[in-house]
Amino acid sequence: MAEDRQQGGGGRVLFCRIITPEKLVYDGEANLVMARIADGDIGVMVDHAPLVSSAEIGDVRVREGEELHVFATSDGFFKVAENLVQVLVEEAVAADEIDTDAAGNQVEEAERELSEVSEGDEDGERKRAEIDRKRRMGENLLRVAGNYA
Amino acid sequence: MASLRDLKRQIGSVKNIAKVTEALQTVSAVKFRKAEARVKKARPYADNVEEMMRDVARSASGDSPLLAGREVNRIVVATLTADRGLAGGFNAQVLRRTAQFRAEKGREAELGQVASGRKAVAFFRFRNVELEEVYTGFTDTPTYEKAREIGRALTGLFEDEKADEVYLVYNRFESALTQRPVLKRLIPVATEEAEGEEERERDDNLAYMEYVPDPETVLEQLVPRYVETMVWQALLEGAAGEHGARMTAMKNATDNANDLAKNLTLQMNKARQAQITGEIIEIAAGADALAAG
Repeated sequence: MAEDRQQGGGGRVLFCRIITPEKLVYDGEANLVMARIADGDIGVMVDHAPLVSSAEIGDVRVREGEELHVFATSDGFFKVAENLVQVLVEEAVAADEIDTDAAGNQVEEAERELSEVSEGDEDGERKRAEIDRKRRMGENLLRVAGNYA
Repeated sequence: MASLRDLKRQIGSVKNIAKVTEALQTVSAVKFRKAEARVKKARPYADNVEEMMRDVARSASGDSPLLAGREVNRIVVATLTADRGLAGGFNAQVLRRTAQFRAEKGREAELGQVASGRKAVAFFRFRNVELEEVYTGFTDTPTYEKAREIGRALTGLFEDEKADEVYLVYNRFESALTQRPVLKRLIPVATEEAEGEEERERDDNLAYMEYVPDPETVLEQLVPRYVETMVWQALLEGAAGEHGARMTAMKNATDNANDLAKNLTLQMNKARQAQITGEIIEIAAGADALAAG
């Protein structure tokens, strides 16, 4: 890891890592990384100023030469430092690997559960937020698959 | 001395035990390798979340209760064990550590207990300790979703002021042979103070770090994620440790059973020889008696 960064700093190359709790989803050079953070869309190129922010449910696009890698991502964190972009999210799926059936089911299931949470529930607010997040993540998967796959 | 038939039966059952423990050992070995790989794969995420937590903690103004804490009236301890036993001291050492900690803190504050894993649940139920949250049925292959659920619940307890401090007790995975029980404070976040030349250099770089929208907001979003990540790491290490401990325990059991079978076989052979010798003596004596007559 340390060598990568040094190379990144000295050689003026930008690196991008997309990391989930399960595994390293993407690790490579990038010309441009685009994502949605707390205050809107951001594009990061080499020698960007260091920055930490939250990442919103949406997509992360990595341009590497002629290639464009697109990932549907859940919410998490976004960090740029020393020519290394790190996206720490719970889920990140490459656009061409999205299982649209499963994503569709996820949305339906969440909508059904949302209608079942009773009003008077003590933890209702939190439960609803969790389920709503699941729904938005499902929708995001479908959107990314529709646009990029 | 036990009779020949008894010995034979004993050898049979000891050999059966050896077969069962050996099978368990093999299964655990396979599961252990998988669990260990998961721990390794999860490390980059956990390391980065922890690093970010340290950075943000240093940049945020110090009055957030998530960092600075507040007056401690109630402490919640979350204990993670396995669902199943047959793993040597694996579960017992975590439970012992928890009990010790509860005894230490019990005088100063009210205690709350959260348990994950059937062994922990049984332990506390037996001692009439009231459990605030119970999680079972996933400890040998945990999912992040579960870690998230537990993490959210723990953060929730702090937010609702049902806990002023939250601790986690789990088995840190060191190798298949050693798992060490560890107690870690989750909230208020305990960031280890970094030292050394390299860190100071990093500090200089950090001074230019921009937080969007600001460090306090990022901190507020990061803490729940940090707690989840620590729970996730603990669950994964627990799973690897559980399989490792079981593998080791079952290897010992198999070796013991085999030794026992060997000893019993020796005993049985001696007994058989003694019996044959006895019979020969009888025959010889009978023949002598006939010849004399």
